Amino acid sequence: MKNDAVYIIGGYQTDFARNWARENKHIAAMMREAYQGSVEATKLDAGDIKAAFIGNFAGELYCTQGHLGAFFVDFDRRFAGLPTMRFEAACASGAMALLSAMAHIEAGIYDLICVIGVELMKSVDSAKGGDFLGTAAWYEKECVGIEFPFPKLFGKLGDEYDKRYRLDNKYLARIAEINYSNAKNNPNAQTRDWYMSFDHACTTGKYNSVIIGRIKVTDCSQITDGAACLYLASQSYAAKYAASRGLKIDGIPKIEGWGHTTAPMEFARKIADSAKGQYVLPMTRKAITDAYHRAGIKDCWELDAIETHDCFTTSEYMAIDHFGLTKPGESWKAIEDGIIEKDGKLPINPSGGLIGCGHPVGATGVRQLLDAYKQVAGTAGEYQVPNAKRVATLNIGGSATTNVCFIVGGNG
Amino acid sequence: MNSIKTVAILGASGTVGSLSGGLMAQNGLKVYFLSRTQQGSERGLQKAISQARSELIAHNIVCGDYEHLLKEAVAEADWVVEAVAEDVGIKQQMHERVEVYKKPQTIVSSTTSSLPLSELVKGRSAEFKKNFLSTHFYNPPGRMPACEITGIEETDPAIVDFMKVFLVNQLRRAIIPVKNIPAFAGNRIGFVLFGRITSLVLEFGVEMTDYLIGPYTGRLMAPLATIDLVGLDIHKAIIDSLNKHTKDAMHSWLAVPGYINTMLQRKLLGYKTKGGFYKKLESGKYVFFDPATCDYIPAIEPHVAFVEKAKHFTRMGMYREAFETILSAQGREAEVVKNILCAYVAYSYSLVGEVTDSRVGIEGIDDVMSYGFHWAAPSIIVEVLGGPDATARLLSQNGFEIPDALKAGLKSHFNIINSGKYFVAK
Repeated sequence: MKNDAVYIIGGYQTDFARNWARENKHIAAMMREAYQGSVEATKLDAGDIKAAFIGNFAGELYCTQGHLGAFFVDFDRRFAGLPTMRFEAACASGAMALLSAMAHIEAGIYDLICVIGVELMKSVDSAKGGDFLGTAAWYEKECVGIEFPFPKLFGKLGDEYDKRYRLDNKYLARIAEINYSNAKNNPNAQTRDWYMSFDHACTTGKYNSVIIGRIKVTDCSQITDGAACLYLASQSYAAKYAASRGLKIDGIPKIEGWGHTTAPMEFARKIADSAKGQYVLPMTRKAITDAYHRAGIKDCWELDAIETHDCFTTSEYMAIDHFGLTKPGESWKAIEDGIIEKDGKLPINPSGGLIGCGHPVGATGVRQLLDAYKQVAGTAGEYQVPNAKRVATLNIGGSATTNVCFIVGGNG
Repeated sequence: MNSIKTVAILGASGTVGSLSGGLMAQNGLKVYFLSRTQQGSERGLQKAISQARSELIAHNIVCGDYEHLLKEAVAEADWVVEAVAEDVGIKQQMHERVEVYKKPQTIVSSTTSSLPLSELVKGRSAEFKKNFLSTHFYNPPGRMPACEITGIEETDPAIVDFMKVFLVNQLRRAIIPVKNIPAFAGNRIGFVLFGRITSLVLEFGVEMTDYLIGPYTGRLMAPLATIDLVGLDIHKAIIDSLNKHTKDAMHSWLAVPGYINTMLQRKLLGYKTKGGFYKKLESGKYVFFDPATCDYIPAIEPHVAFVEKAKHFTRMGMYREAFETILSAQGREAEVVKNILCAYVAYSYSLVGEVTDSRVGIEGIDDVMSYGFHWAAPSIIVEVLGGPDATARLLSQNGFEIPDALKAGLKSHFNIINSGKYFVAK
């Protein structure tokens, strides 16, 4: 039976401030906590779970462990024989697991799927970790001999904005400041207790060194260890779940729209391809507008918040005009007008985003959708956007190579 | 008192003063860093900068010595934090000087937990005492958010209430209201256990003791390594204070083995003297203090089957299974581990109502052990031991009285899922 709607039945995020490597924990321990926490949070019957989909970028590299889906069947004796799969698309690995889970539900194959995004990254030093991350770009062309390839690539994104439209770095500093500030309200954010100010983000020195080009430490999201887990369900399962709790199905958030595009791997080619267009990353823009179209909304002003992929301040700067908050090249206006702030017209990253919340690569896409769910369900606590009814996410892999946008809504 | 905008830290060269003062500066307060010398205060400033990872917080900090800046700083301060040496006489003298300069209604807090608070303000005015309390930060405050708070008999309860809100909202502290009994809650429990564990060294040696009562039993660091971090001199001072000011069923655990005095005489105080229970060689390897010879001996690299099995379960996030492994193990080593776990639970629950308000149940003690020591909360140990009834049976089997609070099955905001970080697979 084909399903038209895919619902979200809540979930759980691990504390992204934790260092699981220092705790000498196996990556499966993180998956186990995310799963157990999600059952506790949703109170669903684990026996209803029909499959488990795992998003993970590079378990083989960071902790010499692949085939992560298999660990799931150890979490409950009822999971013997349960179908599991693992998905990879760099930093969009979590979104891949979600998209596939959606497709399985829409096709009527399963009616309840547990989706976990997970990454354990503090097992290696920053140089080695930077090299591992390089495999998310075209390693031979873009990463060989470069210590931190991604700061270089996303620095180039800022350079391209500067070339086409001019870019004042003070707006990047403000993006960092806002994300850190939002993270202080998120009990699972990596940086919730870290010091940050606009002046610090503008400063260059021992504690805010230049990584490369215009990218300083405060422009970067930080790698961390983390997992997020949520449940996607068919309409019939969501109705049953709601009824058993005295709820209306309209009160259960659902995925209203999605977009998924892939751009050429090489960043230089992306930029060359977009030279004659208005948008610097047209495939990212297309993922967003596809999601708008599928959700039946005309523009970003029908959203109440956005959880975007701010792996660097430049990627959030890009997301602002690509979501359509401003005309192309005018993202600075939304920053200057306070539109993206927590109390602004369209808050971006009330959770703190990747910069504030942390970026365990394979977990991020699932964490974003979980945060969108929390906003729409009204359970985001201190970082709740008042009356949020529709929230978008943007999860990108590589240098905006894989782009996935979800729109969550339906809080009737 | 409507707000705190300016703070004077007295004893800003030390870890508590500089790092707690640094948190205040990070949050936009103007903070005076005072110590005996300008250089000492500036050393404190560097610690605060290192904690914040930003030189910019220096803009909010004014460094000076008592001779030149005490009057100005205290006169301007809305809150004076006294973090000077743990000595009643020194603290009394400092409070006397503060009273000369401070504004009426300026709050004065001491960071001590081990000295009797009322003695520290002997001779001070009624107004001073009304605004006096203890704010006991845990080290390092950037990583340990616990802050025990209590007043003396004369303290205005509104001041304590005001500070609770301020410390939560402005400094992101986890506040634990405690009763005014020396050592408060955290150090009372922690150091009684440390006392017992230093005695176990006589039987097992340093390396094996820390292996048996290691992080897998629900703590960030093994206990003797923790004492090295705290400093053996501080450890001994707190044990002495507990011996002097408290009396309970666990008092015998506070006996100080003779080898500790030898270590103190030889200035083997821990990390700060680059040698305590542990000593790191230039090769990077560790050697361990031997109480029999009072010399250092090479590592033996212990391997006990039930410990290794429990660590494996912990590594996989299976904490209940890890503790089931401990409980089912036999032999002297297992007996010792079970005894320490029982003591931790029995003692913690027995102090509900004595060191914290009985109305908060076990939560205050749970909070201070988790947020101040980074140990699994006593209520979580009860959970992994099988719940209150199973724990009560275990306590009886190990000769511990069952505390009323455990019988009451007090609830906590901690659960096994959100407490995984307290179980370290080492």
